[in-house]
Amino acid sequence: MATDSPLTYPCSLTLDVPFPDARLANVALQALRVDKELSALVQRELSAADSTLKVQYKATTNRMLRVAVNSFFDSLALVLEVMEELDEDVIEARKAQEKTS
Amino acid sequence: MLDLTKKKRRIALGCEGSANKLGIGVILHEGDSLSSSTSTVLSNIRHTFVSPPGTGFLPKDTARHHRSFFVRIALQALSAANISISDIDCICYTKGPGMGAPLTSVAIAARTLSLLWNKPLVGVNHCVGHIEMGRAITGASHPVVLYVSGGNTQVIAYAEQRYRIFGEALDIAVGNCLDRFARTLEISNDPAPGYNIEQLAKQGGRVLLDLPYAVKGMDCSFSGILTRADELAAHMKNGGKGPDGEPFTPADLCFSLQETIFAMLVEITERAMAHVGSSQVLIVGGVGCNERLQEMMGAMAAERGGSVYATDERFCIDNGIMIAHAGLLAYETGFQTPIEESTCTQRFRTDEVLVKWRK
Repeated sequence: MATDSPLTYPCSLTLDVPFPDARLANVALQALRVDKELSALVQRELSAADSTLKVQYKATTNRMLRVAVNSFFDSLALVLEVMEELDEDVIEARKAQEKTS
Repeated sequence: MLDLTKKKRRIALGCEGSANKLGIGVILHEGDSLSSSTSTVLSNIRHTFVSPPGTGFLPKDTARHHRSFFVRIALQALSAANISISDIDCICYTKGPGMGAPLTSVAIAARTLSLLWNKPLVGVNHCVGHIEMGRAITGASHPVVLYVSGGNTQVIAYAEQRYRIFGEALDIAVGNCLDRFARTLEISNDPAPGYNIEQLAKQGGRVLLDLPYAVKGMDCSFSGILTRADELAAHMKNGGKGPDGEPFTPADLCFSLQETIFAMLVEITERAMAHVGSSQVLIVGGVGCNERLQEMMGAMAAERGGSVYATDERFCIDNGIMIAHAGLLAYETGFQTPIEESTCTQRFRTDEVLVKWRK
């Protein structure tokens, strides 16, 4: 094995995820950054720039990168679905529609 | 939040997903002081991820199930409770213990709701959720609690603001022993493997097969029993005979397994009752639905001049309302979980929680 050389992360992926507004981008950022990456072979950086969620993944191998990013997409999809169906204005609109129908 | 205890109606949404059940519920606490407040279940919706016979539920698939059902179940819970978002005081979620990926999938959704609706988050210990719901539903005042499920087996008694563990399974939970044996016999997991073992056991009883009885002081162990039960099942499949020279059936195996493991649970519960001086037993957790266990525990408690308290499957099987209830109790004492700390943990001891809402 190699000596005490630090891990390098040659495999990387950058994602810019657009949101309807800065509020929602920030909600996604705060919800998704809490959990640490499961593997030390993967590094992740999340930030929000206006209405864009910026995601930076780095990993030691392409396989680790793929696994980590796929998992991130699953969590992101959940956050998006919750926003689309359960945000306050969506729920109010649904209630109003039920009252008139 | 400062006026929370003066607020007449307090409502919490609770989200549970530590194993294969996704549960979301809404609870209402009413009343001026904590000691005389009443709890009402406004909604309690659950969906279970069932894996095919002969298999168990794996973390990745279970997490996927929770993610795909969360919005649907949340909408049903809100609609059944007939409340608006402004009525909700806090969002409660299961912090642990349990399976990592499923726990986290629910936590992510709970965090999102907390941020969208601008409500505080409350992380809840799953075991404490079971205990508090059991207390609320049955009204048991000073019971020894037997918490038995697929993931946990603990004998608990309350003392000085902690739920203290008096005895527990040293290796696998009793429910895990049952679930894995159901896989050996390829019994259906729908609605739950333990339920199907219970029904099959009712057809057994012609012969009590010899299984190792493993009580160790206040604790017990189930992996050895499972190994022996698996051996007997293989023996049976190969046409082997029982101790009386006659063939035996899966029903006989289920019967023998239940009689042995439940007797062990009754023994360690009785030991705790003697230690603590209590005559009441409260059984919580999915295995608590088992009527044979309730019957055996009841016989022991009656001999001691006491009784057994148990809830029905709405509350003993994992559910969201118990998380809402325990979370709201904590929130009413001033507890909340900042979002940066709203992680999940697979190991979370019952006695780590400071039970501030009791004396």
